Amino acid sequence: MRREFASRADLIAYVTQVFPGATGAVSETVGGRTVALEKLAALQPDRYGHSRNELEGAVTRLSPYIRHGVLTLAEVRDHLQAQGYAWAVVEPLLRQLAWRDYWQQLYEQWGDGIWDDREPYKTGFTAADYADELPQDIINGTTSLDCMDHFSRELQTTGYLHNHARLWLAAYIIHWRRVKWQAGARWFLSHLLDGDPASNQLSWQWVASTFSVKPYYFNQENLARFSRRKWCATCPHAAQTCPFRGSYEQLHKQLFPHAEASHSSRRLGTRR
Amino acid sequence: MPKQATPAVVWVHGDSLSPTNPALLANPGAPAVWVWDEELLAQWQISRKRIVFIYECLLELPVAIRRGKVVPEIRQFMQEHAAQTIVTTASPSPRFRAICQELSGSFTLEILPMPALIPPQKHLDLRRFSRYWKVAEKVIYPR
Ligand SMILES: Cc1cc2nc3c(=O)[nH]c(=O)nc-3n(C[C@H](O)[C@H](O)[C@H](O)COP(=O)(O)OP(=O)(O)OC[C@H]3O[C@@H](n4cnc5c(N)ncnc54)[C@H](O)[C@@H]3O)c2cc1C
Repeated sequence: MRREFASRADLIAYVTQVFPGATGAVSETVGGRTVALEKLAALQPDRYGHSRNELEGAVTRLSPYIRHGVLTLAEVRDHLQAQGYAWAVVEPLLRQLAWRDYWQQLYEQWGDGIWDDREPYKTGFTAADYADELPQDIINGTTSLDCMDHFSRELQTTGYLHNHARLWLAAYIIHWRRVKWQAGARWFLSHLLDGDPASNQLSWQWVASTFSVKPYYFNQENLARFSRRKWCATCPHAAQTCPFRGSYEQLHKQLFPHAEASHSSRRLGTRR
Repeated sequence: MPKQATPAVVWVHGDSLSPTNPALLANPGAPAVWVWDEELLAQWQISRKRIVFIYECLLELPVAIRRGKVVPEIRQFMQEHAAQTIVTTASPSPRFRAICQELSGSFTLEILPMPALIPPQKHLDLRRFSRYWKVAEKVIYPR
């Protein structure tokens, strides 16, 4: 296949022609080691720890490069070390890098078993209670929930979502729409530039509770806080009809009416 | 007497798209190949933006770019270079394992390890991340 292209547009035209089955937008994120090294040089580990849960926080956006081995986890660590950062500064970032290593090690053991529920749902429902397919309004970005519609479009146009947005969207799909996590995971894998079987499927299982002790869910206050009310400020649902309104206890009752009441069910995004 | 070296070919796959991957580093100048796995692209419904991203990574690597079924494409590349040895890098993917199994029937296959984030541990409890982290945090950032 061709290796010489006059421009990015030229490459895109060629890909479109030779891979007619691959459709949709093209991301502004450019692949390759050159860009990856620029991003590595621009890391702000000192801002990362306290801002990583914010959509506008100092996250690295290294994931597509790490996923494809353009950069290794060890290289990122070595870079931090060479810069002389203290453990306390880099610990939050190293912990996130370690999540990837952890998922990879499980993938090594489980292989395609990462597509199977590793444990039963802890939601009071069984797998049979969840739909097999993703609802069309989620794919089309027409749920009328400004936040979720935005995440859907962002996923499909940029191939990237902030970790917190992935958590919210996944929780919405599984727990509010009662759809099997596998349906959401397939959708993410198709679009994420960092789409990785281990990190993706096992994160979905973590949200679903098929690989964690309880389901991950959130409330409006949490989403509003970490998005700085980006959508809530103008969303017509915000004041009354937002399905995410309420305390964690109230939402737990609504979402998981058959589950044992859990006093420690409060889950903050800061957990991972 | 040193063993007669058969020419080696590097197989680059989607988990190590760096010009500094161990297989490329160990075999400077060796013919190298990438194969777009059309079955996998269809199975995962890989979108156009993912293909463009990976393509851009490939353009910075010294590889021939092919498409189709992975094993037959590599076989043919081996013939074109009269090569007997394939060098590649490790991956946890079961599909990778299956391809390696097939290739090792006809060729000498060397799978080089990727640099690890934490050194191999005798006992690493993977039941939950917290257990893994208890061990990992002590060795992840040598001080
Ligand atoms: C439902 C869901 C699906 C996900 N799917 C993927 C996926 O397909 N591929 C993927 O790489 N990550 C996935 N993640 C994990 C995480 O969201 C992304 O790695 C992260 O958002 C990438 O952005 P960043 O590079 O700016 O991350 P940063 O916060 O800057 O983290 C640095 C690096 O650490 C690794 N990392 C960080 N958090 C995690 C995590 N929770 N799990 C695994 N690795 C992590 C990534 O390699 C990342 O590039 C998923 C998370 C959820 C909740």
